[in-house]
Amino acid sequence: MSSKDAPHEATIPAQPRKWTISKPVAGPAAQPGGAIPAARPSQRPDEQTQRPFFFSKLEALVAWGRSHSVWPFNFGLSCCYVEMASSFTAPHDIARFGSEVIRASPRQADVIVISGTVFMKMAPVIQRLYEQMMEPRWVISMGSCANSGGMYDIYSVVQGVDKFLPVDVYVPGCPPRPEALFEGLLLLQSAIREDRRPLSWTVGPQGVIKADRPSQKAAKREARMAVTKLREPHES
Amino acid sequence: MIDVADTPAPDTTGAQPATRATDPVLAELMARFPDRHFTPQATVDGIPTVWISRCDLLEVARYLKHEIDAPYSFLYDLTAIDERQRRDATDAPRKDFTTVYHLSSYDRGRDVRLKVALGDGDSVPTLSTLWPAANWYEREAWDLFGVGFSGHPNLCRILLPPTWDGHALRKDHPARATEFEHFHLDQLRMEKEHEALHFKPEDWGMARQSDNADFLFLNLGPNHPSAHGVFRTVLQMDGEVILDAVPDIGYHHRGAEKMGERQSWHSYIPYTDRIDYLGGVVNELPYVLAVEQMAGITVPDRVKVARVMLCELFRICSHLLLYGTFVQDVGGLSPVFFMFTDRQKVYDCIERITGFRMHPAFFRIGGLSMDLPDGWHEPVQELIDWLPGRLDEYDKMAMRNRTLKVRAQGIGACTTDEAIEWGMTGPNLRSTGLEWDLRKKKPYSGYDWFDFDVPTGKRGDCYDRCQLRIDEMRQSIRILQQCVDNMPAGDYKARHPLTTPPLKEYAMEHIETLIHHFMKVSWGPAIPAGECCIPVEGTKGLNSYYLTSDGDTRSYRTRIRTPSFAHLQMIPLLSRGHTVSDLVAILGSIDFVMADCDR
Repeated sequence: MSSKDAPHEATIPAQPRKWTISKPVAGPAAQPGGAIPAARPSQRPDEQTQRPFFFSKLEALVAWGRSHSVWPFNFGLSCCYVEMASSFTAPHDIARFGSEVIRASPRQADVIVISGTVFMKMAPVIQRLYEQMMEPRWVISMGSCANSGGMYDIYSVVQGVDKFLPVDVYVPGCPPRPEALFEGLLLLQSAIREDRRPLSWTVGPQGVIKADRPSQKAAKREARMAVTKLREPHES
Repeated sequence: MIDVADTPAPDTTGAQPATRATDPVLAELMARFPDRHFTPQATVDGIPTVWISRCDLLEVARYLKHEIDAPYSFLYDLTAIDERQRRDATDAPRKDFTTVYHLSSYDRGRDVRLKVALGDGDSVPTLSTLWPAANWYEREAWDLFGVGFSGHPNLCRILLPPTWDGHALRKDHPARATEFEHFHLDQLRMEKEHEALHFKPEDWGMARQSDNADFLFLNLGPNHPSAHGVFRTVLQMDGEVILDAVPDIGYHHRGAEKMGERQSWHSYIPYTDRIDYLGGVVNELPYVLAVEQMAGITVPDRVKVARVMLCELFRICSHLLLYGTFVQDVGGLSPVFFMFTDRQKVYDCIERITGFRMHPAFFRIGGLSMDLPDGWHEPVQELIDWLPGRLDEYDKMAMRNRTLKVRAQGIGACTTDEAIEWGMTGPNLRSTGLEWDLRKKKPYSGYDWFDFDVPTGKRGDCYDRCQLRIDEMRQSIRILQQCVDNMPAGDYKARHPLTTPPLKEYAMEHIETLIHHFMKVSWGPAIPAGECCIPVEGTKGLNSYYLTSDGDTRSYRTRIRTPSFAHLQMIPLLSRGHTVSDLVAILGSIDFVMADCDR
């Protein structure tokens, strides 16, 4: 594929191409950020399964693949790492989301989960480890300490890892349950799918266009306000 | 300052391990040193406490360690107090700073506390010549208080970065991060901090080469998959063999002791959970026990048994994590997945009872945060029925595995004498063969009501340390069954004016009770002046909070004695002559938590 016909922006609809072997789909394939176009309503399911191809923009396909293989760096700071480890093991099983490949080297990892308190003495080490990670790389801030210092407004603690690292997702909790980490991971995955990155340093304009990271607090407000009765411990 | 007129004088005649009247050690000291000036001090915990002059310290300590009958061979704790803002009256010879030496005797089953008063800038002779364990404790006191120790082999910072300015636990040092200017990390600071972390063997009296070999200095950590947290060790290697090691800690220093001087007695409880973060409520217990002793609160039986039950649940949870990660460290990758499945079951119990998984903050001064919920025994009974069979299976899968035996047996062994000398406690100490469990020797919170055995090991190596924890889990299951069968009925909070938060039932009765409730909830209780330290058998060893109150709504000084600090100091001793892969097994078997070490 030459750089001439690569889609540069998310808003450019898919162009009919000469090598198309069936009638090009104009509608669903043009969804901004959508990875895999939905079947046309007129298409019967069995008809679709007999077709060994689908349409997508290459960069959307790459982003889709990337989002489902986010390999975490084997890195932990404090209590939160215990819950992070819980999420790796059988009862929660992070492998369902493609993130079970824990890398011991930052050079092979895609995401660093700042799971715990960020200490002044540790901050330069964290910064060095982050710098050793290869692009594209992401940061999940796990737990109150990493988010903001949390309950440790104390001389030896940096008040949030975002004081020196760019954070993609904040997971609240002290410590967050493994399920909360999963929610953060899924949010990161959808962000990865929506971000626009160049396919190569020879292809298209360089630089990353980050999609909006909407506030979950605002998104969930209605559902939360609808809860009026909190269950007792023995009620399941 | 709150008026404490409504609080009665503390009833300190309760269960005290040994009062001054019954403990002969002070008389023995006076008899041995008739011409020296000793000032005894009464403490709430009943541990004989005596002020001595700093020029007598070495002699007195040597006498207590070597010469006295049934000697005090265990340096339990060594710390300092900044006395410059104390408000309670005293006849003790207090000056600007005090160094406190807490010694313990396994033969007597008793403790003694020595105190030395110091002016600002004074130094005191080091005890590291008597107890090697004193080395780190003195470095910590220097780091956080600026108290000098003359004759110390390498008095440098241990918890805070080498670039730090000031001594953090001094009363005039700012507590909050937000009192400093905003944290920024530019290239210049990065270089400065990394340069400060650079290891120079000469600082530690290490040679760079022998007659026939250049040594390799291998840096392991502070981020390493086998280090179980932010822990750094620098190894002096001759080929494959570790000649010496220098553990470097402080990457997890959360200022928990300083935090105690700012939080109210009540609101400090959640911070205790996060000390040994695998131990959960086991950390809360020594804190609330000490506060209750100072306040003179006796808790109902239901509270005691419920506390024991939750502690044993957390003990199982912590031991299971050690079991899984230790086996993983020596190459068995699958057991950890099974053990985390079991941990999930333990968490189900804990969550059902407390509503939270890791840090429940469930204990209160004088009771529990709420009564046990309906049906609490169902998940607990399920766990009791489930776990023994699983442990049998793991024996086959892990402990009887030949590879694991080769990797663990005879590795990182130490004798009982070495263990005591270095301050090793808990399962690690028992694995050397000493049958010493505080739950049996000085029962607290009703542990004397329960039937259980104290398992011991023989060789004190990695294998024994792991095996001992498996045996302890089986004993914890026995205790849990007794809790389920015999949970007493009754209140979940003591009926005492200092119980926090106070019982709600009286709040709306009368304006006085309403005011009382309001004050206790908003300001918290004012605990009568005094000092107290009640050790408990934590998941990893002896854990205690040495609390000093000057009658305020918060602690004047909170000293946390944790087992991991002492255990990590033993790494050089345990790892000399072994290989790096053995060191990984040793680190895995010691069962430390960096938050427990650095606090």
